[in-house]
Amino acid sequence: MKRIALLAATTAAALTLAGCGQQSGGAAGGTRDQIRAVGSSTVYPFATAIAEMFVQGNAGMKSPIIESTGTGGGMKLFCAGVGAQHPDIADASRRMKKKEYEDCQKNGVKDIVEIQIGVDGLAFAESNKGPGFKLTPKIVYEALAANPYGKGPNKAQTWKDVDPSLPATAISVFGPPSTSGTRDSLAELILTKGCETDPAMEALKKKSEDEFKATCTRIREDGKYVDSGENDNLIVQKLAANPNALGVFGFSYLEENKDTLKDVPINGVEASYETVSTGTYPGARPLYIYVKKAHMQAIPGLQAYLNTFAANWDPNGALTKRGMVAAPEAVRKASAEAVKSLPVLDGSQLK
Amino acid sequence: MTATRNPTDWRSDAMRRRIARRYAAERRFKLAGLLAVLLSAAFLAFLLVTMMGNGLRGFTRTEIAVKVDFPASPLLLDPNAITDQALANANLPMVTGEVVKKALGADAEEWVSPTAWTALRDAIKADPKILSRTETVRLPASTAIDLAAKGKGSSEAEAAVDRLNKAGVLSTGFNMGFLTASDGTDPTQVGIWGAFKGSLLTMLVTLALSFPVGVATAVYLEEYARKNWMTDIIEVSINNLAAVPSIIFGLLGLSIFLNVLHLPRSASLVGGMTLALMTMPVIVIAGRNAIKSVPPSIRDAALGIGASPVQVVFHHVLPLALPGILTGTIIGMARALGETAPLLMIGMRAFIATPPGGIVDPATVLPVQIFLWSDEVSKGFVEKTSAAIIVLLIFLLAMNGLAIYLRNKFERRW
Repeated sequence: MKRIALLAATTAAALTLAGCGQQSGGAAGGTRDQIRAVGSSTVYPFATAIAEMFVQGNAGMKSPIIESTGTGGGMKLFCAGVGAQHPDIADASRRMKKKEYEDCQKNGVKDIVEIQIGVDGLAFAESNKGPGFKLTPKIVYEALAANPYGKGPNKAQTWKDVDPSLPATAISVFGPPSTSGTRDSLAELILTKGCETDPAMEALKKKSEDEFKATCTRIREDGKYVDSGENDNLIVQKLAANPNALGVFGFSYLEENKDTLKDVPINGVEASYETVSTGTYPGARPLYIYVKKAHMQAIPGLQAYLNTFAANWDPNGALTKRGMVAAPEAVRKASAEAVKSLPVLDGSQLK
Repeated sequence: MTATRNPTDWRSDAMRRRIARRYAAERRFKLAGLLAVLLSAAFLAFLLVTMMGNGLRGFTRTEIAVKVDFPASPLLLDPNAITDQALANANLPMVTGEVVKKALGADAEEWVSPTAWTALRDAIKADPKILSRTETVRLPASTAIDLAAKGKGSSEAEAAVDRLNKAGVLSTGFNMGFLTASDGTDPTQVGIWGAFKGSLLTMLVTLALSFPVGVATAVYLEEYARKNWMTDIIEVSINNLAAVPSIIFGLLGLSIFLNVLHLPRSASLVGGMTLALMTMPVIVIAGRNAIKSVPPSIRDAALGIGASPVQVVFHHVLPLALPGILTGTIIGMARALGETAPLLMIGMRAFIATPPGGIVDPATVLPVQIFLWSDEVSKGFVEKTSAAIIVLLIFLLAMNGLAIYLRNKFERRW
């Protein structure tokens, strides 16, 4: 009997405690004393590094909350509305899409500031013992597409089938799974470019956007392209064991494994710090953060957080030490200016 | 009729063979059971040994003792006006680099952790007078040095460790920071406290919601509800609910708690509520079985001497059913403690470096922290991940231990 009472009291206490917390945080819908960012897993390590520096440089500030949801998921959350329950920043490994921008406008997120923080590259690599491939987006597309130019299933078995200049080794590519942002980049930066070399595809694009996308970005599923999960270490091991295979991953990863891997040039351009930074490398993609202007006053420290970004994105800054490629100087200047004056993004520029 | 029955000849060959077969079958059965036990024990031992082997190193850290001549260092700080902001503005990272280079050589800056300057900051904060004298400060070593000192580093780092050992400045000690700090980007500085506290708060919310609701449901269904098609449907639904994959509950939490009720994202309140949905059916099922197993004679006796139905339930049935209910609760809570998938949906997969102050603050939990760390590129995170798993296992053991204690305390035999 007494025991039951004791138990009931404990439960009641726990409930009250829960209730108390609820009350003290009742204002959670109204204001917030820490920054919230959502979005790309590619930007995540950089955003967290900046968050750490921001806290260390601004005593008394709470650490920003960085969620890794993927660019698309982040945009959805970001565009859901203005107010403390919605994030302040969206991290993105590609530019905001027109559709996302319209979604933002519809939900009252009117003033968005776009800041490019740096560049990432989509690197193709082979083992040091590899034959030394030289590729173009066209070759990659013809080797990997499920249905090249809409002319039926891909029959290419060896690289020679695709292009006579290449060795007669079997096509074997290890790359990211379809859930990955890196896969999106592969589709957008390389496959679509290769696909567009055929004028018939331009016509198809005008006729049906969906059909164009399916023809140009769907990857074959007969074992020539191997999904290797999100585990890049696995790709490195596989490449070392199989010198005739190709691997696709983020540029920073290639940099880290220069002792076992070598770069495969695309269009004759090697992926190097310079070529990715200036954008001459076809696999280079810019990294952005999007900020809500309406939150700049309401959320303490948001400006300081952006300033911390600006202070660390130089070629010898803290972010490049963590594997990011710095943007070219002109872009950095423009971005620094954007951090200062916070210009509103013009939706008509977006695709 | 004189049917004489021959006594069984136990010594005949046929009989002996039969007996031998029976004994052999028994031995085989025993052996199979023993093998099953050994196999599961081997798996457990393998898990624990690998975890401990990797993880125990995560609880230690390598430190480099550096003599700092504060007056001579390029540090512009007034010992009488040490504020957090003054320290933040003092360019300590650069100063730390200079100090380390001066003490250990030009290439030594890479040997200390990139956040080693925080150790210097804390030393100044603890005793501002330090600024007017030379003092030895222990700085955390970088990941490369840390791994090399633990015997897993590159040849370069190992050469550096040899040099440091000769100078007698290297030491390995218990990493208190791992238990008191929160998430970070540098493996030498990360800690588990934020995630641990998040787990604790989340479990508290889960228990506070699922236990009363689960027990009340079980009592109602067993003691009050009439047996008709409606209770049948409820029973089937609850049994089904217990088998629903946890990610579904995450989606439910996302659409109801976040999108409709507008509760704060990533908060342990929402995490706890989502996990409570998952835990409740388990408690209901275990609770009903426990209540069912209370002998009817107890109820009849209580009713017979004039107790009201409520008194019967609270004075007699519940206390007797409590051990069983607690077992179910603990099974449910243990499952909730190790759950990651539903929490990803409600935004708890996040970088949260400030430990939560209450249940509405953004928080992460131990399994999500483990998941986040296992994804990190830096090699130093491998042992931290294992160390975090050890912390999770200890948390789980403590919870189970408490449950067994409570169960034994309340258990009554008749």
